[in-house]
Amino acid sequence: MNRARVARHAGQGALLVALFVFLFPIAWLFSTAYKRAADIFAIPPVLTFTPTLRNFETLFEFFNVPQLTLNTIIISFGTAIVALTLGTPAAYALARLDRWWAHGIAYFFLAIRMIPPVAILIPFYLMMRDVGLLGTYWALIILDAMQSTSFVVWMMFGYFRGVPKEIEEAAVVDGCTQWGAFIRIVLPTVVPGLIASALFCILFAWNNFIFPSFLTNSQTRPLSVALVSAYGSNEINWGTMGALAHFSVLPIVALALLLNRYFVQGLTRGVH
Amino acid sequence: MKPSQTTSRRMALGMTAGLGLAAGLATGRSAVAQTTAPMTLNMACMNDPFATVLVRLAPLYAQRTGVRVNVDILSYPELLSRITADFVGRTRNYDLSTMDIVWAGQFAEAGHTIELGPMIQRDSAEIGLDDIYQAAILGIGNFRGRQIAFPFAAYVNVLAFRRDVYERAGLQPPQTMEELISSAQRLTDAPNNMYGWAANGRRGPPVAQDWMTYNAQIGGSILGTDGRPAINSPANARSLTVYRDLFRISAPPGAVNYDWAARHEAFRQGIVAQHQIWTISIPSYENPEISRIVGRTGIMLAPTAAGMAKRYGIGGWGLAINAGIDERRREAAWGFVKWASSAEVQRQFLDANVGVFTRKSVVNDPALRARFPFLSVVDESLTNGDADFRPRIPQYPQIQDLLGTAVNSVLVGTADPQRSLDDAQARAVRLF
Amino acid sequence: MIGLPALLYMVLVALWPLGQGLYYSFTDYTLTRPGRVNWVGWENYTDMFADPSARRAILNTFVFTFAAVGLQLAVGLGLALLLWRESRFNRIALALMLIPVTVTPLAVGLMFRAMLEPDFGILGYWARVLGLSPTRGFLADENLALATLILIDVWEWTPLMALILLAGLKSLPTDILEAAEVDGASRFQRFWRIIVPMLLPAIFLALVMRSMDAFKIYDSVFVTTGGGPNDATNVLMYHAAKIGLEFFQIGAASAVSTFMLICVGLLAASFVLMIRAAESRLGAR
Repeated sequence: MNRARVARHAGQGALLVALFVFLFPIAWLFSTAYKRAADIFAIPPVLTFTPTLRNFETLFEFFNVPQLTLNTIIISFGTAIVALTLGTPAAYALARLDRWWAHGIAYFFLAIRMIPPVAILIPFYLMMRDVGLLGTYWALIILDAMQSTSFVVWMMFGYFRGVPKEIEEAAVVDGCTQWGAFIRIVLPTVVPGLIASALFCILFAWNNFIFPSFLTNSQTRPLSVALVSAYGSNEINWGTMGALAHFSVLPIVALALLLNRYFVQGLTRGVH
Repeated sequence: MKPSQTTSRRMALGMTAGLGLAAGLATGRSAVAQTTAPMTLNMACMNDPFATVLVRLAPLYAQRTGVRVNVDILSYPELLSRITADFVGRTRNYDLSTMDIVWAGQFAEAGHTIELGPMIQRDSAEIGLDDIYQAAILGIGNFRGRQIAFPFAAYVNVLAFRRDVYERAGLQPPQTMEELISSAQRLTDAPNNMYGWAANGRRGPPVAQDWMTYNAQIGGSILGTDGRPAINSPANARSLTVYRDLFRISAPPGAVNYDWAARHEAFRQGIVAQHQIWTISIPSYENPEISRIVGRTGIMLAPTAAGMAKRYGIGGWGLAINAGIDERRREAAWGFVKWASSAEVQRQFLDANVGVFTRKSVVNDPALRARFPFLSVVDESLTNGDADFRPRIPQYPQIQDLLGTAVNSVLVGTADPQRSLDDAQARAVRLF
Repeated sequence: MIGLPALLYMVLVALWPLGQGLYYSFTDYTLTRPGRVNWVGWENYTDMFADPSARRAILNTFVFTFAAVGLQLAVGLGLALLLWRESRFNRIALALMLIPVTVTPLAVGLMFRAMLEPDFGILGYWARVLGLSPTRGFLADENLALATLILIDVWEWTPLMALILLAGLKSLPTDILEAAEVDGASRFQRFWRIIVPMLLPAIFLALVMRSMDAFKIYDSVFVTTGGGPNDATNVLMYHAAKIGLEFFQIGAASAVSTFMLICVGLLAASFVLMIRAAESRLGAR
């Protein structure tokens, strides 16, 4: 018993070290929001400072933070919904298909993610102009969803392949339709995968920069674009960036904490 | 959920109403009075200090004229990429844009923005053309006789130095480049975090632009007298060697990776004794919120090499109007341009501690002179201004990139200055 | 078939612009001179291979990809194993650990650049003064700059790797694991004989996804070093973006991106083969 506890504490210790490494830079970034600009880069650099909220004032004066946050949420969640809706059934179909070219199509989806953004940015920009969607949320959701669907198909393909066919076949024998079996029997077993996929889609769209910078206008701009534009002039500077970063980071943390409850061990019981 | 639809519907209504009104108005009156119908213009704005002032003043302009200007603040590379994409794709996202002095060649050649000549002539009385420095008009937005942007934020190249550091060392501010180099060396005291000089070293536009400035002050030139590249001239090679040595002996350790933001931060934190800057940054040194050297900075004309004539490098930003928009929007945009460059608004920039100078009346205003003593330097520079301090030709981005790589490689490694410049020259020639 | 909408979507949104890009790569299409477009054949490609800057970019991109993804996989797997057990501590730790991924990569680059600044950065200053870093700082040193960018990438994306691998671990059938424990298999045996083979799909997914993204690294290079010092951190995407979005030479930029696409494709294909081999050797499905 003791050995297990020691091992567990050692594991937690290691996690704490990892957390420190991952969170220290973020803590620094957040701390710039509470410092005067002259103090952010004081020489020699120290950890103490006198706090101020001026940066938040400046931030709200020059940026429509609620609008930016709303835009980011709409784009990210929209992308995730589209990607999951398109990708999950496709992944299931591919996983259950017993043809040799099923793998081929799966690879095709994978290949989509390989495309360097700069290759399709300008052509896509012009395409969106031609259909009149430039500057709307849809332009960005369409493009982001393309890359996200690819990920979803690949991620869920692996999970679905791991679910033995016998489960559904048993359900069909018991009177379920194919689709019903899918929804009610198969999907619940891959919930961890779905959650991870959703999180990933949201994350990818949340902090994407180069696509939104070209495809959105000042009304539909997300936080990532504003964050970078903030940096550079004398009045809008690191402090404001640090303040804005709060809005870019905290919603996702909240989301992750929320979804974590469903991110549990697979529900497969003895399948015999 | 289609925001653009609502905006375009509103625009359409506004236009119909406006057309009726405009039809009844005589020409010759100022464009500002014509656009009484509500209209929204979109402007792409560089995130230099003037951006925040424009954002603050835009609502006042809307109240006065009914024209709302959305000021979109963008970083430098973003700005150029997006407006070029906008121009070429004819997406008309931006009616107006700030234009860097060095972009004139590209824009003129491609016809991205309208020629303002006729409008300037027509409204010259209202603008008070004589009040604007010739150097600013010719330098910012004029390319081979075509005026494709109007100056509103001219910058002057000056030397900012720490008066207290110089006094402590018993030295006089440098009158020549040679003096600057020797004083930089003497003022460097690394253990006590003081370095005699700083400039950008980062590969790409940062180091290219800074070196071009120094090069001009020392007597070199990127282009030959025939307008073609002369990058590997002996004068240039010499100045590059001097630049490299300055970095090795007198600059902060991180300078080889500095861009403007880092360099200004270093100066504001007090570890740099002097550096060449554009006047836009000067007021920031006096702001206790962001600077630790309040009241200790002196401004003087950037020195040239001994025996050389003085050089008055100017830079800065103009406002350009998208060639793809219709007549009514052009007039409305032109109204905004005139307003932004008017004496009244230029004064407001200075009131907000933003150092832009385009008009003689503003620069020579006694009250402002009392507040900003360095305005005498500004006046001298703009009167004799040299806008071709840096080449404003269409191939500027590529030349800048070649220099950015060549100079950086000399600074960080052991590359030979002459050979690096030879290499850059060979590639530059192919661009023409 | 329910897979059809996804397929059509891809073709429309991705393949069409891609095809255009491929066409452009054989022309001298420049965005600022849209009227004059000429067919130049392979010239854009040969120019790329003749350019020492571009060649260095190719090398740097591959080194970066392998090093960064390798490290992320190793550390990510370790973290996933540590987080496997159900507990409140682990749930919160996971959520907190995802924070680096939520900051836009461009801002991450700016953040680390500020922190690593040798003259006034909170990490860089002390590293320089204590002799832990070269005088010019990590990012200005030709030998360390790329390694620094690799570590920044590891910092940013390891949590995501951990998430994917953790999802894989949690999807493993508990009955088989329990059976193995009951059978008395040692931890080591359990890990290599049972967990890893069943985890291979997740490992493969993580590996391929991250490799494809790492190959396209751009944001951090752009804000920290500009490709320098002296080409030490020049990478393909930066090179392509400069040509395409600064010089507006769409033809040349398309050639670079097409080349990137081929490289990534080959990379992914080799991963597929490797995982297949591993799967058959370790006796999984």
